[in-house]
Amino acid sequence: MVKTVNIVEPNSTASARRLERLWWRPDTFPLGRLAIVVVLLIILACGSVTFAQVDKLVPRLEHAAGLIAEKHIDEAEKELAAILRATPNEPTALNLLGAVRAQQGKLNEAELLFSRAIRSDSRFVGPHLNLAHLYTLTGRPKKTILELQEAQRLDPGNVEAVDLLARLLLAQGQIDEGINVIEQAKQSQTLSAPLLVLLGDAYLKKGNAPKAEESYERALGQQSELTDAVLGLAQVSQFKGAADTALVQLSRARKMVANSPDTLYRFALVALGAGLFEEANGTLLAAIKLKPDDPAYFLALGTTWIKKPDLAEAEHAFRRALELQPESPRAQMYLGYTLLEQKKYPEAREYLEKSLLTDKSVPETYYYLGQVAQEENEDERAVQLFKKAIELAPSYSFAHAGLGASYLRLKNYPLAQQELELSVKLNPNDSKAHYNLAVLFARLRNQQRAQEELQIVDKLKTRNGGPAKEGDVSSSPEPRPPK
Amino acid sequence: MMILMEHLVVCLRLTIALSLALTLAFGLCLTTRAQRAAGPTKPVVTFEEVLPSQSGITWVHNNAHSPERHLPETVGAGCAFLDYDNDGWMDIYLVNSGPADFFKPATQIRNALYHNNHDGTFTDVTDKAGVAGGTFGMGVAAADYDGDGWIDLYVTCYGRNILYHNNGNGTFSDLTDRTGTGAPGWSTCAVWFDYDNDGKLDLFVSSFVYYDKTLNVLCSDELKRSYYCIPRHYKPRPSHLFHNNGDGTFADVSKQSGIADSPGKSFGAVATDVNNDGRMDLFVANDTMPNFLFINQGGGKFEESALAAGIGYSASGKPRSGMGVDAADYDGDGWQDLFVANIEQEFFSLYHNQKDLTFIDEPGEIGPATQFLSGWGLRFFDYDNDGNSDLFLVNGHPDDFIEMRNARVKYREQLQLFRNTGKGFENVSPQSGVVFNKYFSGRGMATGDFDNDGDLDVLIANNGEAPALLRNEGGNRNNWIGLQLIGKQSNPAAVGAVISWQAGTLKRSRLKTSGGSYLASHDPREILGIGSAAKIDYVEVRWPSGKIDRLTNPPINRYSKVVEGAGLNMPR
Repeated sequence: MVKTVNIVEPNSTASARRLERLWWRPDTFPLGRLAIVVVLLIILACGSVTFAQVDKLVPRLEHAAGLIAEKHIDEAEKELAAILRATPNEPTALNLLGAVRAQQGKLNEAELLFSRAIRSDSRFVGPHLNLAHLYTLTGRPKKTILELQEAQRLDPGNVEAVDLLARLLLAQGQIDEGINVIEQAKQSQTLSAPLLVLLGDAYLKKGNAPKAEESYERALGQQSELTDAVLGLAQVSQFKGAADTALVQLSRARKMVANSPDTLYRFALVALGAGLFEEANGTLLAAIKLKPDDPAYFLALGTTWIKKPDLAEAEHAFRRALELQPESPRAQMYLGYTLLEQKKYPEAREYLEKSLLTDKSVPETYYYLGQVAQEENEDERAVQLFKKAIELAPSYSFAHAGLGASYLRLKNYPLAQQELELSVKLNPNDSKAHYNLAVLFARLRNQQRAQEELQIVDKLKTRNGGPAKEGDVSSSPEPRPPK
Repeated sequence: MMILMEHLVVCLRLTIALSLALTLAFGLCLTTRAQRAAGPTKPVVTFEEVLPSQSGITWVHNNAHSPERHLPETVGAGCAFLDYDNDGWMDIYLVNSGPADFFKPATQIRNALYHNNHDGTFTDVTDKAGVAGGTFGMGVAAADYDGDGWIDLYVTCYGRNILYHNNGNGTFSDLTDRTGTGAPGWSTCAVWFDYDNDGKLDLFVSSFVYYDKTLNVLCSDELKRSYYCIPRHYKPRPSHLFHNNGDGTFADVSKQSGIADSPGKSFGAVATDVNNDGRMDLFVANDTMPNFLFINQGGGKFEESALAAGIGYSASGKPRSGMGVDAADYDGDGWQDLFVANIEQEFFSLYHNQKDLTFIDEPGEIGPATQFLSGWGLRFFDYDNDGNSDLFLVNGHPDDFIEMRNARVKYREQLQLFRNTGKGFENVSPQSGVVFNKYFSGRGMATGDFDNDGDLDVLIANNGEAPALLRNEGGNRNNWIGLQLIGKQSNPAAVGAVISWQAGTLKRSRLKTSGGSYLASHDPREILGIGSAAKIDYVEVRWPSGKIDRLTNPPINRYSKVVEGAGLNMPR
């Protein structure tokens, strides 16, 4: 008994490679409207068969795979059923039939068939990858990770497994684990340029700029026109505070044709970070034309509208993000902020409170709710909300400023002074806090201090170039843009 | 105390008869419409536009619009309701632009005085009255400054202001030089009030920026199209305070009073008493600068306290583009609250008095409703006579190119009416008449009962367009009493008097403020709404002098004259 993988002849390798490229396609998938993810079929011929059997089996499996590729699902199904009647535990046939079932929308049956394939041959990587895709499709990330980890363990050089696993881990916020997967893969294979970009992104998330930079540079060494790598370098520059370099890199990226909505999105985020709000806005609108149903795009778009500023458009973008992802606490928070800025307090409160139901860890949400309470004359409630924000982020200057403002309204001047002074110590550029200090000192009849604080407000306004127009749009600090 | 009530106007019978006939004729149609508009529970009060063909007011404002976009072109103009001939009917005065260093009109441009013919029509009597102006006019303030019983006119201008003294015979004389009230430069709003409680009306005049044609900044977009610059480009000027010497002259006390210590870019101004100390204070809106709250310290001194009061800046500490203002005790807590309208995206502010010289901005529904509007003329008044002060806003953007730069903002904007429900302000514009669907380049706005039917009508001065006269239809379904207060020991206009009244469970009080709105002057009579109460228990007037007159069971649904002091009354 030998593993087929060891005996497949050179001419069969090409067939196997062709089979590796088999994907489920949404247009052939009966539930195509619901599912987008495709399953990769990797045929690593294996099983307890003799050479003679292999001689007959491999062409039949290739034929079945070809039928699937050509969308002749019914014929493929008949062929595979015939194979399995003869060899009921043939893992490749089970795996292929699982793919057929998946294409037919029979996901439970597909899962069973992939599992049977694995039971027939525990070293068979293909069904693990297919299961991983199936679990992704059905929203089971933990199971997906387990399958991909197993695939990578079985075949450390499997580029697809590494790529998928790393992306999933990073998306799940498991940054260290994601980095480990790619770094381990580095031992056994030459990383592709996209994987190097992914590694760079992971290092950047960890705040390791030199490592990120190295990865992006290596990616560019392989593929000099890789927009994502250039954008990665721009992000590293922004991280290091080298705004000018970032702009040069952004300009380089701009010249590269990007038809990928994800790259456009990334470009927009970098542009947003560089303060190029108009450009970010235009790029996001272009990305949304290509991919109109990604809530992240609308979140980013909303932030560019806030910056322009056009709060009504921002509100529209965040509402769209919420349509696409109704329970997103982030979108709820952004929308709440936008409504707050438009003085639509009851609705702002509604969305901010919804956001808190799902995610109680964001200090900004409490801060904005505090602002709403303050605007609705619920100063005691505002105090509690600002305190909650401070509890989560003790050096959150705006929350201290909000708390100080509430104490000012409550005529508790000593506490107001304490909080406002702490706020400007934490963030000397907060003109609103300086303004409230000016009001406080004016009430305490300390005209000199009041004037000093007003001068700071004026200086900050001048430093920021003053408002571009007469409208006084922003009264609360806006939420951090997506990264 | 004997108070004679003089029934000034009794034309109601004919009006009621006519309304009844119309209702009978179109009863079904009206019912259906009313039900659609407001439901069956509450009759709707509307404002209906009185067209020039009906009113005879054919005058049109000329804003001197030029390619250079001189700033004075876009901020005018004002209007007034006044009874210049003491016939008991409100006449109308309209201010126009005129010759200036940057504008040489090809044909004569003049202000207009329209005499009320008592039948809903007006006659232009400008030439006979001699009040055509002659400089680039801005606003107007009407009051009997010399206590001779005839209403005088003060017209603010870019250039030199004009004080027209009413000769009592349908004509006026320009006494500007003699009175010393010319205040050269660029003046906007003017307010008659008695800051030192000496019984004579003094005069506050808002100053806008230092400006002449050589200082004009040309602002243009990337296509080199000029637009009106933000006033930030110009330097602020101190406003004026003139003390009435009582001998037909005034003394400029701007410096010694402290008013001149605060140069501003001032527009709307209202005299009110924010700390209930019996001395009239001033709330003044500034454009691109913090607003002013001049607290009257007594002894002829004012202290600017807007910062401490929390009304100088936006909540985030940014000076805004304040334009129109007004003051009223909208929640009946006995303390004057303030309102200021700003430019689009700055939101308008309703400042609730905290009773300790501090205010909190509580705009409620007004906030989001004014997000994209720019407000000028505005007034707290009880349009439906239910006893609560409602709020009427006149809007319009100063930049005629704004729509090319911001699709959400219009140059001509809609009017707004907010009804005071007793719990807050409710936007009732959509159900208050088709005029609220129209767009105006609104600036000045005055209130007055021009048809003497017991509810307040509205006059709007539009920039570069004809004015709009709006008749209040249905405000008098609720009962009311109209009072004309004549101060004797106190100033003739009774500015600063506090009127209190009770009708059953409805108990209200109102401070007689002066100024307010923008470039405008209002019907000086006070209409006190009493809702559905069939009688009014008492009206009490506490005059600025401290004297109190109490009227028991005064007649309702008519105007009466109340003269300060026991037994003092002047039948007309």
